[in-house]
Amino acid sequence: MNTNNHATFLTISAYLTGFSETDLLGTGMVDPYYAAIRDNNDPEVLGYFYQEAATILADSHGDEAEINEAIAARLIPDSCYNGIAKTIILLWYTGNYGNDVLSTDSYKEALVWNVAGAHPPGAKQPGYGSWALPPFSV
Amino acid sequence: MKCDEYDVVIVGSGIAGSVMAKTLTRAGKKVLLLEAGLQAGIAMDKEGAYQNYQFYLDTYYKAAAKVPNSPYPNLPDAPSPDVLDIAPIPNSCSPSTKGYLVQAGPIPFASDCYRGPGGTTLHWLGSTPRMLPNDFQMQTKYGVAVDWPFTYYDLMPYYEMAENEIGIAGDVKEQIGPDVEPVKNYGKDYVFPMQKIPQSYLDQTIIEITNGKTVTVELNKKEYTISYVATPQGRNSIPEPAYKYAGVAWNKKTQKLELEKTDAEYDPVGSLWDPYTGQRCEGNSSCVPICPVQAKYNALKTLRTADHDNLDIITQAVASQVLYDKGSMDITGIEYKKYRYGNSPIYEKGIAKGKIYVLAASAIENAKLLLASGIANSSDQVGRNLMDHMVMLTWGLLPKKGFPYRGPGSTTNIPTFRDGDFRKEHAAWISPIDNWGWAWPTFAPGSDVSNAVGQGMFGKQLRDHLSDIIPRQLLLHFECEQLPEPGNRVTIDPRYKDQLGNYRPVIHYNASEYMQRSFEAAKKVSDQLYKAYNVQDFTSYSAQNPDHVQYKGKVYNFAGAGHIVGTHRMGSDSNSSVVNPDQRTWDHGNLYLVGCGNMPTLGTSNPTLTMTALTYKAAEAILKQLEN
Ligand SMILES: Cc1cc2nc3c(=O)[nH]c(=O)nc-3n(C[C@H](O)[C@H](O)[C@H](O)COP(=O)(O)OP(=O)(O)OC[C@H]3O[C@@H](n4cnc5c(N)ncnc54)[C@H](O)[C@@H]3O)c2cc1C
Ligand code: SF4
Repeated sequence: MNTNNHATFLTISAYLTGFSETDLLGTGMVDPYYAAIRDNNDPEVLGYFYQEAATILADSHGDEAEINEAIAARLIPDSCYNGIAKTIILLWYTGNYGNDVLSTDSYKEALVWNVAGAHPPGAKQPGYGSWALPPFSV
Repeated sequence: MKCDEYDVVIVGSGIAGSVMAKTLTRAGKKVLLLEAGLQAGIAMDKEGAYQNYQFYLDTYYKAAAKVPNSPYPNLPDAPSPDVLDIAPIPNSCSPSTKGYLVQAGPIPFASDCYRGPGGTTLHWLGSTPRMLPNDFQMQTKYGVAVDWPFTYYDLMPYYEMAENEIGIAGDVKEQIGPDVEPVKNYGKDYVFPMQKIPQSYLDQTIIEITNGKTVTVELNKKEYTISYVATPQGRNSIPEPAYKYAGVAWNKKTQKLELEKTDAEYDPVGSLWDPYTGQRCEGNSSCVPICPVQAKYNALKTLRTADHDNLDIITQAVASQVLYDKGSMDITGIEYKKYRYGNSPIYEKGIAKGKIYVLAASAIENAKLLLASGIANSSDQVGRNLMDHMVMLTWGLLPKKGFPYRGPGSTTNIPTFRDGDFRKEHAAWISPIDNWGWAWPTFAPGSDVSNAVGQGMFGKQLRDHLSDIIPRQLLLHFECEQLPEPGNRVTIDPRYKDQLGNYRPVIHYNASEYMQRSFEAAKKVSDQLYKAYNVQDFTSYSAQNPDHVQYKGKVYNFAGAGHIVGTHRMGSDSNSSVVNPDQRTWDHGNLYLVGCGNMPTLGTSNPTLTMTALTYKAAEAILKQLEN
């Protein structure tokens, strides 16, 4: 594993998703998603993507606004790196790579259920009567 | 037990077949059950049942489109209809043959069912309101459709049996609406086995959104007050202490089925693999297509409690023809094809023999089997009058968060338009409030994510946007009652057969003006509700959707409810119906049909409770026939 790229993947994922690195690590999906991105993309393009992401992170010294601006301009446009940034966001939020569910775990860890104040249908059930109350996390 | 001739041969292990098998075997009758689906699916031992069900669950997690049949095997040897196969129909000469159903149109039939052990209850939602007394008299009251050959009140004792077997959670006192009063419709002091399933936070948000002010809407110059009812449903909750029935038993003396009394508290029926799993609904929010803990009723729970000393089951056995004696017209056997693997064309033929035969293969399959066998059709009604609830959906964003995607699919319904004089002009409907956001019409929340990301959103902005809109999603159903029409029908055609050489059902289906008027009316009501709730309407209908109609220039889409009804209607005379009030075919003294196909009309309730009540009535008639 390329440890630099792996670290960049985690940090850039946090900026792309709006979730903290700790939140992302807590899903247990960092490694499988890193691998899925690695295995499904042209290594050369992916190399440039990580290089660009690392540069953005390094140059802005943790200034969030600056990082977001750079991400919007240099990673998000479809013309950049075969849309890898968007793929990463969708992977985290839905657990899907393209139209495919990556794994049963990715289905259960999709962040969209978290932002919905809900849980993945058919898993992590919150218990009898929970639906009659506002979500626990609110 | 293997015998050469059984008392009764049943085709199908859905709720109709399983209730029949349980009732007859417990009354001491020898029963053979033929089931088209895989052997693994019928496992009753703990280990087998658990392993098989976990396989379904895993398949569901990994399915890209989580449609009703997504967890279950679809076998070339016994294919299931699937909503993913719905496609445009170019014209009636070239039907859509994409899936198992051959859709001759003009519009595609929009519902599916599951052909496998336990049948469609594996993926049903489990809503179980009763029909209304007026639903049984549509011709007398409103001059449309037909009357049932008996009244609601005649069916009441059987409703109680069905509510016992399915295990209904609900509050009788809260059942209100047009033509419903607790005492009139349920009898004095009647209670359900379990207390009501709590209404969702979303339901409460809507009910309270007008700050205690009642909502009224106008339709055809008449004012209607909107009310809300906690939907009775077949999923486990807290036992109701006042409920005192143990189960259904055959009383030889009175020659009747009776609900036996008990002093013991009702014990919610848990999963097949562990009685303590699933004793309460745990809020998995995936009842359609699969309840992971089996807190939701499914027919295998009934089948498990049959008297297995009196029951033989042959699985992977697809009934292909019903044989009869041309002189006496009696049925002499059911020919079935037993395949080795679900996708291999290799099979062996067998003939199942009994004194009495019961087809419980679901409305479409029953009709197809009768047509393929050339039987029971002196009335020319077999296959006709196919009905479903045509579900018009409307969706929007609430002014505040109701937090959908939690809890059972629906816990509250608006009963206001279930009955009224308007039924002379257009269909009645029930309006469940959907607890699962816009999932049905838009594939939300996944589509919300991809739309936002497509627009370039990411990071905190994306997260804030999604956590603002997803929790405010509201989806209302307008489940419109389709009337029986002879042209909506199942037929067969030698050009269309499956891998085993069995006929595939050919479906002819349309939305009459009576239905189209109800879409127009329901949309008017929806508009007024959204205004009263201060909901921003995002409903959009498209002529690209194969299930659309255009009425007075406007396009409406509808979905299927899975309520497949009416293909072998019951009636009081043999010229205009297929079965008599006991659900015995008029043409064959030893052939009974069970399932929603018997229902002369649909009403606005989900049909399975009523159909199960009818199945008890049929079982009683069979027991009487066997003993006399
Ligand atoms: C998505 C969905 C949601 C639903 N929700 C509700 C609800 O909330 N409330 C409600 O009341 N109803 C609901 N329904 C309808 C309900 O599921 C059906 O009315 C009910 O399950 C029908 O039961 P059945 O026993 O008649 O037929 P099925 O359950 O369809 O069973 C038929 C059985 O026959 C077997 N079979 C078929 N062909 C053959 C053959 N040739 N040989 C041998 N065996 C055969 C099948 O394998 C199966 O076991 C829903 C349906 C769907 C699709
Ligand atoms: S909400 Fe969950 S536990 Fe309850 S019935 Fe539905 S799937 Fe089962």
